[in-house]
Amino acid sequence: MFLRLLSDVRWRTASRSWRSTSSSRHMTTSAAEPPSISLPAQAQVVICGGGIVGTSVAYHLSKLGWKDIVLLEQGRLAAGSTRFCAGIVSTVRHLSIELKMADYSNKLYQQLEQETGIKTGVQIHERTSISHVMVQKGCVTGVETDRGQIECQYFVNCAGQWAYELGLSNEEPVSIPLHGCEHFYLLTRPLKKPLESNTPTIVDPDGRIYIRSWQGGILSGGFEKNPKPIFTEGRNQLEIQNLHEDWDHFEPLLSSLLRRMPGLEALEIMQLVNCPESFTPDMRCILGESPTVQGYFVLAGMNSAGTSFGGGAGRYLAEWMVNGCPSENVWPLDLKRFGALQSSRTFLRHRVMEVMPLIYDLKVPRWDFQTGRQLRTSPLYDRLDAQGARWMEKHGFERPKYFVPPGKDLLSLDQSKTFYKPDWFDIVGSEVKCCKEAVCVIDMSSFTKFEISSTGDQALEVLQYLFSNDLDVPVGHIVHTGMLNEEGGYENDCSIARLNKRSFFMISPTDQQVHCWAWLKKHMPNDSNLLLEDVTWKYTALNLIGPRAVDVLSELSYVPMTPEHFPSLFCKEMSVGYANGIRVMSMTHTGEPGFMLYIPIEYALHVYNELMSMGQKYGIRNAGYYALRSLRIEKFFAFWGQDLDTFTTPLECGREFRVKLDKGTDFIGRDALMQQKQDGVCKRFTMFILEDHDTDLDLWPWWGEPIYRNGHYVGKTTSSAYSYTLERHVCLGFVQNLDEETREALVVTPDFINRGEYEIDIAGQRFQAKAKLYPFSSLFTQRRRKDEMELSGYHGK
Amino acid sequence: MLAASCCDRRMCVCPGPRRIAIPVRSSRLPLFSDAMPAPTQLFPLIRNCEIGRIYNAVCYCHHKHLCCLSPHLAHNHLRCAPQKKLATLCPKENFHQFIHARSYVSTPQRFYLTPPQVNSILKANEYSFKVPEFDGKNVSSILGFDSNQLPANAPIEDRRSAATCLQTRGMLLGVFDGHAGCACAQAVSERLFYYIAVSLLPHETLLEIENAVESGRALLPILQWHKHPNDYFSKEASKLYFNSLRTYWQELIDLNTGETTDVKEALINAFKRLDNDISLEAQVGDPNSFLNYLVLRVAFSGATACVAHVDGVDLHIANTGDSRAMLGVQEEDGSWSAVTLSYDHNAQNESEIERVKLEHPKSEEKSVVKQDRLLGLLMPFRAFGDVKFKWSIELQKRVIESGPDQLNDNEYTKFIPPNYHTPPYLTAEPEVIHHKLRPQDKFLVLATDGLWETMHRQDVVRIVGEYLTGVHHQQPIAVGGYKVTLGQMHGLLTERRARISSVFEDQNAATHLIRHAVGNNEFGAVDHERLSKMLSLPEELARMYRDDITIIVVQFNSHIVGACQNEDF
Repeated sequence: MFLRLLSDVRWRTASRSWRSTSSSRHMTTSAAEPPSISLPAQAQVVICGGGIVGTSVAYHLSKLGWKDIVLLEQGRLAAGSTRFCAGIVSTVRHLSIELKMADYSNKLYQQLEQETGIKTGVQIHERTSISHVMVQKGCVTGVETDRGQIECQYFVNCAGQWAYELGLSNEEPVSIPLHGCEHFYLLTRPLKKPLESNTPTIVDPDGRIYIRSWQGGILSGGFEKNPKPIFTEGRNQLEIQNLHEDWDHFEPLLSSLLRRMPGLEALEIMQLVNCPESFTPDMRCILGESPTVQGYFVLAGMNSAGTSFGGGAGRYLAEWMVNGCPSENVWPLDLKRFGALQSSRTFLRHRVMEVMPLIYDLKVPRWDFQTGRQLRTSPLYDRLDAQGARWMEKHGFERPKYFVPPGKDLLSLDQSKTFYKPDWFDIVGSEVKCCKEAVCVIDMSSFTKFEISSTGDQALEVLQYLFSNDLDVPVGHIVHTGMLNEEGGYENDCSIARLNKRSFFMISPTDQQVHCWAWLKKHMPNDSNLLLEDVTWKYTALNLIGPRAVDVLSELSYVPMTPEHFPSLFCKEMSVGYANGIRVMSMTHTGEPGFMLYIPIEYALHVYNELMSMGQKYGIRNAGYYALRSLRIEKFFAFWGQDLDTFTTPLECGREFRVKLDKGTDFIGRDALMQQKQDGVCKRFTMFILEDHDTDLDLWPWWGEPIYRNGHYVGKTTSSAYSYTLERHVCLGFVQNLDEETREALVVTPDFINRGEYEIDIAGQRFQAKAKLYPFSSLFTQRRRKDEMELSGYHGK
Repeated sequence: MLAASCCDRRMCVCPGPRRIAIPVRSSRLPLFSDAMPAPTQLFPLIRNCEIGRIYNAVCYCHHKHLCCLSPHLAHNHLRCAPQKKLATLCPKENFHQFIHARSYVSTPQRFYLTPPQVNSILKANEYSFKVPEFDGKNVSSILGFDSNQLPANAPIEDRRSAATCLQTRGMLLGVFDGHAGCACAQAVSERLFYYIAVSLLPHETLLEIENAVESGRALLPILQWHKHPNDYFSKEASKLYFNSLRTYWQELIDLNTGETTDVKEALINAFKRLDNDISLEAQVGDPNSFLNYLVLRVAFSGATACVAHVDGVDLHIANTGDSRAMLGVQEEDGSWSAVTLSYDHNAQNESEIERVKLEHPKSEEKSVVKQDRLLGLLMPFRAFGDVKFKWSIELQKRVIESGPDQLNDNEYTKFIPPNYHTPPYLTAEPEVIHHKLRPQDKFLVLATDGLWETMHRQDVVRIVGEYLTGVHHQQPIAVGGYKVTLGQMHGLLTERRARISSVFEDQNAATHLIRHAVGNNEFGAVDHERLSKMLSLPEELARMYRDDITIIVVQFNSHIVGACQNEDF
């Protein structure tokens, strides 16, 4: 549809009399060979790929006022997946951003039916293939095609199946992790009484098929359990064509079609179409700017939903290019959620074979991919695994979820899928208890760790500008702070320790490795005296949580660790066991007492062994991320990527105290925060304690559950966990104050939060919830002191 | 071939007019002191089956085929006497005695093994190895191999080995057919690949290995074995074997010619050297009485070997004895043809007869090959071990006398072949055939003669070829311009799937081949009834109807072979 608009424009200039008349799904308009026009020498934007995605980007860029756009297509317009795809626009999606994109696409397509012949300023050149993108000093300068060069400022890779290869063809490669799988659908001849074109599309996830009407007959395809990955070795072909039909492979889908609609048996086959689709490692599309090459944008890997997302995704990317950022939080789709580490063809091949069937599988909470695992591991991996660790993966890194005690066995993977109370409930419960009463070790090595240092004050200066909290603190102090964008939203949420006057140690969430690096690089002055280093791989991080952590550590280091000597949020290099130079930080990311140990990896095993043997008398045990999560959420700790995103400001999540508006220097986002402070916030991070929820019998909250205040929808939850201390479920989420008539977001005051009656809707059932703006810190400390007394009494002798 | 197949092809201890040449006391060849199964141990392979039903099935077979056997004869000569000859000899009273002895066989009900039972027998020893893919590309010319064996002897006398050379390129695969026991085949299956690998090693690597051993450091791994759990290695003898191997590489180091190793030469040297070591170890003996007995059992039993070495497009087959290597070639029209890559060393090979005769004085011309057997006794004309055909009479006597009592009591070992004038009569030297793989060479079948005597090579190649292509790319269906309804297509596809699952219930090409070898009826189709009967024979009878069968099917990667070939030009 975009291409009809766009091509009209181009071809009208070429031959006035020609009009696009085709209305067929196959968009055979390109059969009329357009006269070849020489390529322009320069353009503002060059888009590679004339499928629905590329044309959508071009359309939206021109709508936003950019005029100088060239779209190159190696074959014919809409010749790849776009041509062959089943053309279904479905707005049933799992992520809210995906839902928004699909919804927008849907409306846009309806609107486009009327829109024709707008002057767009987009030049389209078919049969032009790009050999590589020219890059200088980390910026796009142009493209090299088989028909000559075009200078440009921006390049957009919408090359679909070939986006991976095109990305790697530059001197400075851009890693775009996607991989193709063959996808089959069936076309039939018309029914005796031809199907109406407005017959609803039917999706049967159990049968793994979709069915829609097509030219009086049906079109039916599906996502089988045993996909056939394709083009692993890359293939430099012009168009996807002549791929073989594989009826034997299609048999299970045909069977389920006839099982669902036995009446179709007599329908005559027209064709079985083989149309490869590209899939990504997490079933979400890839959108955004390359972390390494400025001006290099990507929109690809649509996971078979190119038509559904094409419109919306094209719009967000165009906004991103024109305005510097999209109008919605697109982090779940951001190219920077991946790094080069997801770029192995073997990894992609194996992972997409798991991803594709997932499209029609039931998505259960806490699902972990089974393929492409054990890529990045801590040096303790084998030790922990032998002690019963069960693993989950983040950014390629294996992290322990919990430890299955010896002799105890969990359900098999397939049976463990549930929306109710999971089988690990008691295991995690006992880990949490141990964190509260004794001491636990959690391997948290996956965290992203950077070091920033300089010869003079440059490091401090740049950090003061990039972070909202005041980092000019005495050496050894740790500061929790946000890295904000101009709007005051969180680009990253991290902890920074001042190692000495001129160097800082920065800890960010695991999946920030690429994004945070790119953000820092983008905003740091090009100063050779300022050094940024990714030291993630250099340190193993152990979180020693619990009231007894202090005892274990002081015994191992012969250093008094009491709060007088080692106050909270403090960092010291010290020896632990025989190992020297361990960075010990008095924080646990949970609000519980304890320490984070950043250990040079060669000492990791030693320190771990020492902790475990010394800790024995204090009841030490291993714990995993599920315990950590429960502790964190009951303490109302927000987590970036889950609760916080680029559209959340510190003021909206009760973190004013981590913002120093008057620290003496300007910082990114300061103006926006000042404004917001004056105007008040329109959403507020709130904690909900479920009141009448039966943990054993009711469905568990996950995230994304609607929040109702006095019966009105006010927002969605962002995370939830069972609090073993409160013996209740805790949900975190944002509350808005939507005007009942205009749906406009009004200011949310604490009073507004406190005066409401809340319900959380879990799968259609509403549960009463108590809203809180502050955690139960007093309750916890009291309880802990009591326990501590009991424990010390017990250990007294 | 036919005559041979109904008699023990290996070692006939009851040939000629003197039916019983050697007094044999036990039912087994006495070299097996360990295996004397009680009659109830009919099916060690299928413990989970209902014994009662099996009994009945077994008994049915007795009635039908074996009623003429006397228990005495059955005990003594099962493994060596052709059924027909036995039948003529069978004394009547013994016959009745037999029937009487098995009087529990009264229900003439026909019970057969169910298909799952048949499968569990056929699949008990199957093994598959897939060469790992690297980054989506398989860099080896071998995709993988399937192997399997079906015992007829108890215990089975065949062995198999497969390993990847770690210090040089290439993969080794071999089948070994033992006779007069399994000791020799077992030893060869454990040791031969090490000898080959060492023979192939460059001087520096040998030095490195020797230095490592010398200084007690960890040894470079030489071979990566691909073994079925049932393929065991002797723990007790490993030290002894290692020392012999080390002596070998030390000599290779001393002999350093500076020349690059020729694979053919390496294979021949390795075969000869191992046989020599087997012989020497038996002569020297070992202070440990268990080992001493073991080395003697190894030397006095025998084994043939057929070994493939695959490195890129270079395929070498080294063969000693009558196992066989067969290449499956797919012609342009899709049909299959068989190319034999080994020569059988037996009486059917005239040049072998010629060779043997030429190696001995004219006076022995009549006796050296008699009744298609070496000295009228041994079917394979080349073999490992079998020192009875290699050592001088004096040496044999000396070793036996100084050997353990078990050996001394053993009539077979004491027996000196007739007309034994100018030993050695037997060699382990292989014939090596080199073949450059082409893209149309799809697979290689290595198998002991148990397979080749039941199936024609052309059938073997066709069955494997159709199996392999069927599994991977069954002729695809295309609708083309025809009018096909969804229902018709569905029916067709369901039928195809059903066919695949029944015909290709085997995941392993070797198993599939065994199924055909044992179960084929006169029309060349697998007949379940026949299969069931053949597999339900009690172990003391099985050997009369079939031999041990061991098969390795190696599948080549035509893409890699094609690419390598292009590089060569």
